[in-house]
Amino acid sequence: MIEVNGLTKKYGDRFAIDQISFSVKKGEILGFLGQNGAGKTTTMKILTGFMPATSGTAKIGGFDVFENPIEVKKRIGYLPESPPIYPELLVSEYLNFVSDLRGIPKDQKKKKMDAALEKTQLGDVKNRLIGNLSKGYRQRVGLAQSLIHDPELLILDEPTVGLDPKQVTEARSLIKSLKESHTVIYSTHILSEVAATCDRIVIIDKGKIVAQEAINSMGSAGASSRTEMVVQRLSEKTLTALRAVNGVRNVQASQNGINRLIIEAEPREDVMVELARIVVTTDSGLVRMQPVALGLEEYYLDLIKGKRTAI
Amino acid sequence: MNGTSAIVKKEIRSYFYSPLAYVVLGVFLFFMGVIFTKFIYIYQQYNSKAQFGGGQPGITLDKLATYLYQNMAFLLCFLTPLITMRLFAEEKRQHTFELLFTSPIHAFEIVLGKFLSAYFLMLLMVVLSGLYVLFMVIWGNPELPIIATTYVGLCLSLACYVAIGGLISAMTSSQAVAAVWSFIVLLMLWLLQSLGQGITATFAGVQLGTVMVYLSPLGHFTTFSEGLVHVKDIVYFVSFTGCILYLTHKVVESNRWR
Repeated sequence: MIEVNGLTKKYGDRFAIDQISFSVKKGEILGFLGQNGAGKTTTMKILTGFMPATSGTAKIGGFDVFENPIEVKKRIGYLPESPPIYPELLVSEYLNFVSDLRGIPKDQKKKKMDAALEKTQLGDVKNRLIGNLSKGYRQRVGLAQSLIHDPELLILDEPTVGLDPKQVTEARSLIKSLKESHTVIYSTHILSEVAATCDRIVIIDKGKIVAQEAINSMGSAGASSRTEMVVQRLSEKTLTALRAVNGVRNVQASQNGINRLIIEAEPREDVMVELARIVVTTDSGLVRMQPVALGLEEYYLDLIKGKRTAI
Repeated sequence: MNGTSAIVKKEIRSYFYSPLAYVVLGVFLFFMGVIFTKFIYIYQQYNSKAQFGGGQPGITLDKLATYLYQNMAFLLCFLTPLITMRLFAEEKRQHTFELLFTSPIHAFEIVLGKFLSAYFLMLLMVVLSGLYVLFMVIWGNPELPIIATTYVGLCLSLACYVAIGGLISAMTSSQAVAAVWSFIVLLMLWLLQSLGQGITATFAGVQLGTVMVYLSPLGHFTTFSEGLVHVKDIVYFVSFTGCILYLTHKVVESNRWR
């Protein structure tokens, strides 16, 4: 559905994005993750044909974004970071205007508008002024305009920013439901958002892609390097013995009600065996020992700090 | 041209959903009313003097109509920036430029749609001014062909005004800045006529004064208001408007590169 190759955008001497390449399959939800200013919005603006790139190619549905922008734009629905709404219009008038811009035939207009209103649950407010709606509703109006022509590809730039928790949950389930009939690229800097919504993730930092992989494999990537142990009795002697094991990098102990140890070690079987042996022989009363998956948050921070590489 | 008609419809709707259109129309009608009353008063004075003196009035109704429409053209010079200031500046401020530019329409359709919507509102004022023609026809005997050519000149001048206002609005994201600069530029264009007349300097064999007078819309409009329709004046207005719309298109396109 999307093929991006060596996409670069320069502002003077500064690279907003530098040699970005990735692809998205049909029906996939791709999370575009990065800090503010990482280059997410620039990439999205280029893909939508709003902004030209300095170099590189981008194809959507087989059409080159720079050579056939009109064909590409017909296939895209775009929700920018600030929803592009006219506060002086009614919701229905606004969607009518967007339908005209999108060249939807008159006989299909009502059907398409009703479908967009239903998907975004805006039916109750369709005759209200957009300027009088809450932020959450305005965001939905923005989403409705991106959906109205039933595009093959939806590009959503931080669609949940500024929404309350209930609205965030609703927006997530709405985006998930869109997967059935659309390919979605979804940018955010909120990690839990990606985990809850996306199939695959592209992490971008300072204009470069630092990782792209499936959400599931990210969780498992660091699973074996961290182990949690819960014991009944914890002595300084046990801690010293654990820290002395060859392959152990760090041992953190917490004693708030239960004695919990988080051990960072090389992902080797013999290290695990030795750790278990020490706890048993020191009569610490082993209650639980299990691997801890590296959180997405830590994985992400490791990546942008350069501690980890994964492409 | 689907995009153009969609934008025209939306823009006209937006004008009338805000107080701006009503305020501008109200101000226009108020000042035109004041000017018209003043001219009728002057005409009456000339008439009564002529009656008591036994001769023809020293001023004709047609001459008065010419003055009236020259004043109207000048008044519209002030009001046009209020209508055009929001055309592009507002889109930038509201971040709705992204909606227009990610829709499957060409940038020129956007520029044309914006131009036509503001032009429509200006033409509405011209149509409303027909009220004064009606008064003159009921209570006098004006030369209607002269008034008709004056209206043609007025409509062509307004196309230039609106195009200039649109261009300046495309250059900024502040409506106030767009309005002030549009007014300054339109005023300068008017003043070029009288400034040019006093300049005798030449540059590369061309008299600068003549160029300045030619560039001012005032002289071209005056020809129309005297009942004359010259092709060169029509060419001036049409080419001027076309060039400014082309420049606006380029400015709007360049916004996407930044």
